[in-house]
Amino acid sequence: MKRSLAMVLVASMVFGSAQPALAYLKFGVTVGGAQMTLKWAQTPVRYFVTDQGVTGVSATDLQAAAGRAFAAWQAVPTASIAYQFAGFTAATPDRDDGLSTLGFRSRPELDRVLAATSFVVDAATGALVEADIFFNSAFPWSVAPAGEANRYDLESIALHEIGHLSGLGHSALGETELREGGGRRVLGAEAVMFPIAFAAGSIAGRTLRADDIAGISDLYPDGDFNQALGSISGRVTKDGQPIFGAHVVAFDVARGSMVGTFSLNAQGDFSVGGLSPGPHALRVEPIDDADVESFFEAARTVDVDFRVAFVDRVVIVPRGGDSGEVTVKVVRK
Amino acid sequence: MFAWAAGMALVIVSALDVPAARAQSPAALQRGRFEVALGSLWIGQQALGSRDANETTSAGSSLKLFGASSDLAGAAGLEGRVGVRLRGSLEAEVEASYARPPLRIAISNDFESAAPATATETIQQFTIGAGVVWYLPYRVRRGTRVAPFMMAGGGYLRQLHEAAILLETGRFYQFGGGVKYLLVSRPTKPLKGVGARLDVRALVRSKGIAFDAGHYTSPAIGVSLFVRF
Repeated sequence: MKRSLAMVLVASMVFGSAQPALAYLKFGVTVGGAQMTLKWAQTPVRYFVTDQGVTGVSATDLQAAAGRAFAAWQAVPTASIAYQFAGFTAATPDRDDGLSTLGFRSRPELDRVLAATSFVVDAATGALVEADIFFNSAFPWSVAPAGEANRYDLESIALHEIGHLSGLGHSALGETELREGGGRRVLGAEAVMFPIAFAAGSIAGRTLRADDIAGISDLYPDGDFNQALGSISGRVTKDGQPIFGAHVVAFDVARGSMVGTFSLNAQGDFSVGGLSPGPHALRVEPIDDADVESFFEAARTVDVDFRVAFVDRVVIVPRGGDSGEVTVKVVRK
Repeated sequence: MFAWAAGMALVIVSALDVPAARAQSPAALQRGRFEVALGSLWIGQQALGSRDANETTSAGSSLKLFGASSDLAGAAGLEGRVGVRLRGSLEAEVEASYARPPLRIAISNDFESAAPATATETIQQFTIGAGVVWYLPYRVRRGTRVAPFMMAGGGYLRQLHEAAILLETGRFYQFGGGVKYLLVSRPTKPLKGVGARLDVRALVRSKGIAFDAGHYTSPAIGVSLFVRF
C-alpha cells in the first residue's frame, strides 16, 4: 500500500502560547481534493511505549500512566474506539516506522511544549496509519497518584495527547489569564482537550469531560449514540455577515454539562453533537483564552472582535435529531 | 402543601358563610347526575431550579462560567371536565387541559461579563386526568345557589417543546377547593342547571420538564361554566 505522508504535528499541552497546529474539534485531512475527517480505520489501535524513562518516571510508570489514559477513552460508553498495548520498544516516538509509539524525548528548544502528537496518514484513504506521542523530558514529570508539586502529571497529559492520537483537535472550553513573563495560566477548563495544561502538580486533567466524550463519540459512534443523543446546528453572524471561528458552547440546563464547537466555514455554520435531549442555553464567545493557532491554521482569519453573547431562545435538542438552524447574532466589541 | 390547599379552600368557604336559618346541604342544590364544564385555567410559576456552568480549576474546584436559573412561567389555558354524581355529595370527574407556559432560562454572572439574558421558549402542555369532588356538608341559607367543595385528583401530562421536536411526559396531582354557583336551576327539566365554578388548587407535577428528580408545585386557579343534566 502506498503510504505517505502528511505529517501533522500537533503541538499540544503547552503551558504558554501554543505552537502552530492544525486543529478543529476533529482533525481534517485533504485526500484527492476532498476534506476528510482524520481517524483510525481499524481498532484496536496498537501502541508501543519507549523503554526509556526519565527522572522519577520509569518506562513501566509511563506505560501504566498511558494505559490508564487509554482506558479512560476506551471506557466512553458511546464510543467504539479501543486501544491495545503492543509492548515496549527501543524506538523513539519520532520515527516514521509504522508503529504508534509513546515515549520521552528531550526537546528543550520547545520551552512551552509539554507533549505533542504527530501523525502519518495514508494519502490514498486519509486513514491514520501511525501516531506518535512524545513527552518533553525537558520538563519534570510525575506519576504520583495524588500528583506531585512542581511536576506535571503524566496521566493528565497522556489523556490529552491520546485524544489527539484518536483524531480530536483542541477544545476552547477553558478560561485563562496572561502570566507575567509570557504564556497563560489556566483558571478553569472543562475539556481535557483544552490546549493549555493545568499547573504543575495538578491532577485535575485526569477525567474526561462532557466535551471530550461528545467529541470521541462523534468520531467513533457506538451503540445508540446517534439515536439517543442529538445536536444543535446554526450560524453565527455579525452585522449580518457570517463569521468564522466563533466558539459556540451548548449548556445542558438539566445536567450542567457543556459541549463546545466553532463556526467552521465561510457561512458561519456550526454544529455541536453528542448532546443529551432537552433544553440547552447557547453561549457564543470569541477565542480569547488561547492563541487562535491552537485551534486553526494560521492562514485562517478568525473573527475575535465581538462580545460574548447568549442566544435569547431556549434551544431544544431532540432525541436522535437536530435542533434546526439557530441563528446567533453577535455585536462587535 | 396539603395544609396550604385545605386552608385555601376553607378561606373560600368561610367567605361564603352566612348564618344558617333553615339549612340544607348544598349538595342537594346540585341536581342532576352529569355535569359538563368548560373554562379557563391559570397555572402559576414553577421554579425549576438553578444550575451553574462550571469549569474545573487546577485544584479540582469549580470556576463558574455563568449561572442559569430556570422556571416555567405562569400561563393561562383551557380546561374541560365531565363529572358524574356518585353519591349525594360525591362526584367523579375526568378532565383535560391545555396551556402554553413559557420555559425561561435566566442567565447571569457571566465570567466574561456578558450581559444577563433570558432564553425562552413556549411549551405546549396537555393534561388528562381524573378526580373526585366532595361537596362540603356546609350549612347555608335556604335558597342559596352556592355549593362549596373540595377536590383531589391526578393524571397524565405531556409537554411538547417548540417545533414539536421533543416530547416530555409526566404525572400531575392536584388538590384544593372551590365553589359552584348555579346561575340557572331547572330541577324538573332535562337540562337541570347552568352554573359557574371557581376553584383554587395546588398543582404538583413530577417528571415532564424536570431538571432533577423532584416534584414541582404551583398554585392554579380554574374558572369555568358548567351545565348539568
